[in-house]
Amino acid sequence: MLNDVTFGQYYPASSFVHSMDPRTKLLALIAFIVAIFMAETFYGMLLCAVVLTAAVLAARVPFGSVLRSVKGILIILILTSAINLFFHGGEHLLTPESWAVKIYREAVVFTVFLMLRLSLLVMASALLTLTTTPVRLTDGIESLLTPLKWVRFPVHELALIMSIALRFIPTLIEETNRIISAQKARGADFESGNLFKRVKAVVPILVPLLISAFRRAEELGDAMDARCYSGSKNRTKYKKLTFGLRDLAGALVVAALVAGVVLFNVYAADIWPQIYEYIVIK
Amino acid sequence: MQEENIDRNTAADKAENTRAPREDAVVFDGVVFSYAEQASPALNGISLAVKKGEFLAVIGHNGSGKSTMARLINGLLLPDKGTVTVFGLNTAEGKNPAEIRKRAGIVFQNPDNQMVASVIEDDVAFGPENLGVEREEIGRRIESALRAVGMEAYRYGTPSRLSGGQKQRIAIAGVLAVKPDILILDESTAMLDPRGRREVMQVVSRLHREEGLTVILITHFMEEALLADRTIVLNRGEIVMQGTPADIFLHSERLEAYNLSLPRIGRICKSLQKAGIPVADCLTPEELAEEIAEAAAARGVKGECGGHVPAAPASLAGGEWDIDIKNLAYTYSAKSPFASVALKGIDLHIGEGEFFGIIGHTGSGKSTLVQHLNALIKLPSAQKRYRPARPKKGRPAPVLPELKVGPFDLADKKCDFFRLRESVGMVFQYPEYQLFAETVFADVAFGLKNFRKGISAEETEAAVRDAITMVGLDYAEVKDKSPFDLSGGQKRRVAIAGVIVTRPHILVLDEPAAGLDPLGKQEIMELLHKIHREWCSTVIVVSHDMDEIADNCTTAAVISEGAVADCAPPRVLFSRTEELLSLGLDIPLTAKACARLKELGIEIDTDFTCEDFARKVTALFNGGEHA
Repeated sequence: MLNDVTFGQYYPASSFVHSMDPRTKLLALIAFIVAIFMAETFYGMLLCAVVLTAAVLAARVPFGSVLRSVKGILIILILTSAINLFFHGGEHLLTPESWAVKIYREAVVFTVFLMLRLSLLVMASALLTLTTTPVRLTDGIESLLTPLKWVRFPVHELALIMSIALRFIPTLIEETNRIISAQKARGADFESGNLFKRVKAVVPILVPLLISAFRRAEELGDAMDARCYSGSKNRTKYKKLTFGLRDLAGALVVAALVAGVVLFNVYAADIWPQIYEYIVIK
Repeated sequence: MQEENIDRNTAADKAENTRAPREDAVVFDGVVFSYAEQASPALNGISLAVKKGEFLAVIGHNGSGKSTMARLINGLLLPDKGTVTVFGLNTAEGKNPAEIRKRAGIVFQNPDNQMVASVIEDDVAFGPENLGVEREEIGRRIESALRAVGMEAYRYGTPSRLSGGQKQRIAIAGVLAVKPDILILDESTAMLDPRGRREVMQVVSRLHREEGLTVILITHFMEEALLADRTIVLNRGEIVMQGTPADIFLHSERLEAYNLSLPRIGRICKSLQKAGIPVADCLTPEELAEEIAEAAAARGVKGECGGHVPAAPASLAGGEWDIDIKNLAYTYSAKSPFASVALKGIDLHIGEGEFFGIIGHTGSGKSTLVQHLNALIKLPSAQKRYRPARPKKGRPAPVLPELKVGPFDLADKKCDFFRLRESVGMVFQYPEYQLFAETVFADVAFGLKNFRKGISAEETEAAVRDAITMVGLDYAEVKDKSPFDLSGGQKRRVAIAGVIVTRPHILVLDEPAAGLDPLGKQEIMELLHKIHREWCSTVIVVSHDMDEIADNCTTAAVISEGAVADCAPPRVLFSRTEELLSLGLDIPLTAKACARLKELGIEIDTDFTCEDFARKVTALFNGGEHA
């Protein structure tokens, strides 16, 4: 039964990473993704992995929960790897000439690269959601989108919609659980039968849930009116995000990471020339 | 409640205001209002003036138009005829509603549906943010509003972990942060347990007393209306009675005509007076006890009650459909950082034929407990993936929970859970929210068709007709109606019919009377007794209303923090006053009166129902006269 506000994957702990500004974390994630896509050598990739590991350690979340996030994209990972492995061209053929399937050395290097990229990307995103509550994340997104107000993008409305959605997700999950239990108690069966039967079995859950959602929306609208809501005009905002020293430190680490990746791209050949062609993608 | 921490400045401000000649805060002048979809008007010619600083209670049965009044005051609705003015501003004119909403805040019924944010301080900030108040000032307002409702410790918490009463206090704080002059409570306590209701009412009466807020309290709990300066009674959209609470409650016959019932103590007073005992009308159990003691002293009646102690009811153990629970423990989201223990070792026996009560606070684990009874929550040993743990040397084998319901052993993986659910009917809280079908007939037949695959159309019709008739509805009239067109009370009856249609041996109900007005509550309890007599051998009612338990149950168990704190017939249970109070639970009003009488030297042996209490007191007086 899921009835906690911290649904999703937030891992409660107090750590350096948890208390960073959500905007820093969002921007750092973007910078990190840029870095892993810029990296053309395994040195750069290794550097990314080291930084991520350090961040996980600083966040005091279990490594298992970060690694588990890769499970979600396992099928995509295997599929893209297989396609790349067999169809990526190259110069150095690894399989005998007579084979119908041709695998090149470049394809192997590229595939390993791709797997690392995707895995690191997913793990870094997981670290963000593990260390930031959905509420803080929404605040961060709203703040980062604020410049869009200049082009009349409804930033405030969007943020309010997100925050109300977050507020009601636990309530609706709880309600769904209750309705499912109640219909189960009346002998409803949601687990067996063919697709058609299963879809039909959902009606006794969906109808009450929709009706209740509309009722809640109506009541919430009244309550918001009664509390003087009249759109974003002349509205102030109480919560203000502030950057701190930790954010500066985080930003420096990420900047160093990007710089490191670029340097490796340029100078990798000079570090250990013999293996260079095995650790680079072109 | 931290009474010493009142915002001195505002208190002084408001006090000064109340000394000035009292202006009218709200004036209704010949107001008529109809909802588009209804033929008869919801409000029909209401004229009323509420003075600044007044505490007005509005009572009336469900659908009497009370909530419409609240919405008219702050311009959420506009009158068809007549005018509503708030501090001289007409709600129907131009931009007045915006100004009025700053001065009159409403707290609604459902605590969940009026919170916009997932962090409490953000939610309280919502109102001032809308008004464009400066950041620093919002911070100060959050602090003082939360302090005023005694919730400052929860400022950075989330509402989903709070009890209903705490959520409503947050909702009040959200309104206070706008700094209104009028606080309107639109049935704000209807969905709360007695403890939550008490919390909210304490906050409200303190705000009225110390901050000089004008309070308009809309309620159907007569006990709450007692706190007001003035009470008005609404019936079918008209004001039918007006006066101080005491005035109103002394006209019991008229109240009943308006589908309202007297507070319990008032009812006892009336029946004592009928029996010729000279007690004055009173409204609290303590007053009643003192009245009785005085009358007793005047007549020279002394000592213990004359009635003989009835023998304890014959033991009901050994029935075919007994329920046996041993070592039942349960943890939500086990092995995650959010694990919360709901049950820690419940041992309970519920005999066949009982009308069994389960009492406890919200969050005490009582709902989790009853969901085990029809395997909505399965025991660990009954789960598909369960493998018995290998016994480890040097460690005692872990104690496994056991649960038997009649012939079903719920700890056994091979138990036929489908048949079990047919035999143990379960009615959830607010069951009307689970109706879904197009017609009442189809909704009631849903369970029947699930449990008895291939049942003939005639059999279905007969069973559905019996069930609908059983719950007191007219089969021919309602069967083809949409369940959503029925009234609240009727919907709940249809939902109950949908569970008893399979004729379960055991019927479990979670808060069956929640949210109903007093008359509706009484009718539902009567219905359950009828079902108990005629259809279901065991009825289990989860409730937090002590008076309901005292009046109806043969045995009751008190669940506190996931364990059984006590289990006994009400006459025994409620005589352990201190024990219950120390658990933070309430005791029935009759038990309170008994406790006070005991202090005054009169002991009464009663089973704590209103009728029995009145009967025993009468017997005491009559016995005294004869002696």
